[in-house]
Amino acid sequence: MSLLGGLLRAGASYCQSAGTLLHTVRTISTGTCCQIRMHAIPQPKKVDRWTEKRSMYGVYDNIGILGDFKAHPKDLIVAPCWLKAFKGNELQRSIRKKKMVGDRMMTQDRHNLEKRIRFLYRRFNRTGKHR
Amino acid sequence: MLRFSFIFRGRGVAKRFASSFSNESALPSNLLLPTNLVDPDRLKRPPPPADSSLPPLRKCDAAVPAHLTPVQTWVESLERQDSEPLGVAQLHPDVFAVPPRLDILHSVETWQRNYKRISHAHTKVRSEVSGGGRKPWKQKGSGRARHGSIRSPIWRGGGVSHGPRGPTSYYYMLPMKVRVQGLKVGLSSKMAQDDLHIVDSLNIPTPDSQYLLDLIRHRHWGESVLIVDVGEDFSENILQATANLKTVNVIPAIGLNVHSMLKHEAIVLTLETVKFLEDKLLWHDERYTPLYPFKLPYSDFP
Repeated sequence: MSLLGGLLRAGASYCQSAGTLLHTVRTISTGTCCQIRMHAIPQPKKVDRWTEKRSMYGVYDNIGILGDFKAHPKDLIVAPCWLKAFKGNELQRSIRKKKMVGDRMMTQDRHNLEKRIRFLYRRFNRTGKHR
Repeated sequence: MLRFSFIFRGRGVAKRFASSFSNESALPSNLLLPTNLVDPDRLKRPPPPADSSLPPLRKCDAAVPAHLTPVQTWVESLERQDSEPLGVAQLHPDVFAVPPRLDILHSVETWQRNYKRISHAHTKVRSEVSGGGRKPWKQKGSGRARHGSIRSPIWRGGGVSHGPRGPTSYYYMLPMKVRVQGLKVGLSSKMAQDDLHIVDSLNIPTPDSQYLLDLIRHRHWGESVLIVDVGEDFSENILQATANLKTVNVIPAIGLNVHSMLKHEAIVLTLETVKFLEDKLLWHDERYTPLYPFKLPYSDFP
């Protein structure tokens, strides 16, 4: 019964008449039902594993060790300037963003950032177990 | 990662399939054999024995510890497709015969994937979604549930309460010696599995990509080859030959890294690259801990 219902629901998208039938008539079938054939298992997506980006991934990551320490792998990171070679939770990231980029931000964005910092400060330092 | 002894060989598997499915075609169309199956063709030239009488073309510059012996490999040439190896080279065991630490390889590989990762997933909180400042209906008397704003997280179109917030970075640095050891373990693993090839220089007779592909297939190097050379200027022939090939890539020696070593099946180093790598990687075994970052000038370190 659940198999029939599943097939009917699948067939409802395939042809609209079956969809209207679903709501009006309760159909009963006594045999095996294979009238609607669908590609139930979708095709796996074809991924090219050797594009330029994938084959050259990670090159120059050891530029410090192998290149006389003139550069550091953190110079390779493509990121907004307040996130280059920095990891932190949301409050730390927000404070750093305000420090570094705050005077260049749009007024609405800056206002939201300040509200978020105020909320997170109070949340982390005044509520919960760790304060 | 250590060498397994496969019972089946490439052609043996095909023969078994041919005998069992006699009515259908010889091989199933979706058969995928791993390219590093031990193939009888590849076993033709074993690595040179430890006590071979050939004079080595290259000896280790740094002192080899007394309890270790240098690793010996053939030095080949890319000039002709079917040329014999030119000679034997000795490689330092502390770079090319290090115990296979898979955990270091894993940690260096995950570091390479994650330290540059910036996730730009961002959702708006209820205070950032436009609107929602006014109380939608009065608190009591309307019969509906009480609400304070139309952008609270339980409303459709409202803010997300615990969603991803802004560009997030996953930056961290592994200790320098761990990254160095990762390079050494990678090179040693490639050497132990016969996937490391030493070449005297990268001079090819023609800038033809097909020549390189034929050479690689003839010598059974594998599907993908990483060619590493010291210096910034490469010969025009090799650059042109590899420009159109996806699985054969040339990188300078500064760009060597564990991810590329694991991605490509075979690695080809020149003799100068071997000298450069030994020089750089062995220095870390006997250095003092830095009092200030190495990028600032030291009196005895260039």
